[in-house]
Amino acid sequence: MTAAAQATQPAVGDAFLAARAQEGYLDAYELLVQRHSAMAYRVALRLTGNHHDAQDVAQEALIAAWENLPRFRAGSSFRTWLYQIVTRRALNKVNRGRPASSLDLLPDLADPAAEPATQAERNFAVDAVIDALLALPFPQRAVIVLHHFEGLSYAEIASVTGRTEPAVRSHLFRARRALGKKLEEWR
Amino acid sequence: MSGPVNDAPPDGPAGRPLLAAAALPCGADVDLLLEQVAGGRGADRDAHQQQCVHCQAALSEFIALWAPVAELAAVPVPAPPGLVAGVMSQIRHLVRDIWYTLEVTESGAIRIAARIVAALARDCARMTPGVRVAFGRSTQGKTAALAEKATLGHRHPHAAIGVLGRTAVVDLAVAVTYNDPAHQVARDIQRQVITTLRDQVGLQSVKVNVTVDDILDDDER
Repeated sequence: MTAAAQATQPAVGDAFLAARAQEGYLDAYELLVQRHSAMAYRVALRLTGNHHDAQDVAQEALIAAWENLPRFRAGSSFRTWLYQIVTRRALNKVNRGRPASSLDLLPDLADPAAEPATQAERNFAVDAVIDALLALPFPQRAVIVLHHFEGLSYAEIASVTGRTEPAVRSHLFRARRALGKKLEEWR
Repeated sequence: MSGPVNDAPPDGPAGRPLLAAAALPCGADVDLLLEQVAGGRGADRDAHQQQCVHCQAALSEFIALWAPVAELAAVPVPAPPGLVAGVMSQIRHLVRDIWYTLEVTESGAIRIAARIVAALARDCARMTPGVRVAFGRSTQGKTAALAEKATLGHRHPHAAIGVLGRTAVVDLAVAVTYNDPAHQVARDIQRQVITTLRDQVGLQSVKVNVTVDDILDDDER
């Protein structure tokens, strides 16, 4: 795509792009991939705790979404649908087993304005969160990541996980308490 | 809340962990307090919380406990370089490639991938006044299969599967600006695309199907 042509392309909605992609317009799907690839990778990274696994999961999920476009229902959210695919792929990857490293989850947290000691303490605290997150059972980790990291509503998480909204809320209560207990141990 | 609100506050990290209990001595549900903090509403205290030392201490404790979680959630995580290209490359392999044969001589064949023709047509359409969005496709799978069948008998031995000959068929899906007459914009696109593909690629016979999928306001995103 030329730069000039790209510059004339306004940001259209996911629904429009998904509909065109379903009709076989590959360039429409490419825009969806550009728009959501960071999300796919970020969620996969939080869920698997491993850069290489996250990259695999994000790539597999974006390709699987293309292959399954005929099953995507018009009117539903492409973003929520992709969250579902990424989460399932991440679960499969985690189940196949591979040790996670908290270091992979922190691409750049350094605050240049912070004192070195303060920075070290902050990094330590955030590392503790990562370890605590990865120690949670996958379903609890998933609801924490989707709600508190990605900002999905209960209804959206219900759609992603195939559970009811009350079940999601109950799951979140347990997950938050479990995460909080691990953080209390660290403090 | 039924319990006392002014007794000694609950223990923090030095004593019994807050999350070991289901409720504070005042009766407040610990999970709801943690939910309040995790939702970024730790400072929005109701009438009871404004009076209750237990709730105040617990909320303060949870705010400190949850701060690194919020901090981690706020860290931007960009997609790794090459992810988009890798995904699209694999998808293009999954999509059947169609080729237009421009010339077949003793020196060999000159062909161009239909997706390149579609991309050129799309870019050309995007530059046409009145067009807000344009997507191009060379042909649909069904059409490709039909073309492949139709050309089977007279295909050049060096030609690739799905050769359509010198006639290119391009589908364009466009969204036009609200005040521009859609039919006029569509005709302009056809003219521009036909000229571009003839001049830049050498395709002499081009069919351009334009579908106006949407009409957008100037400020519509």
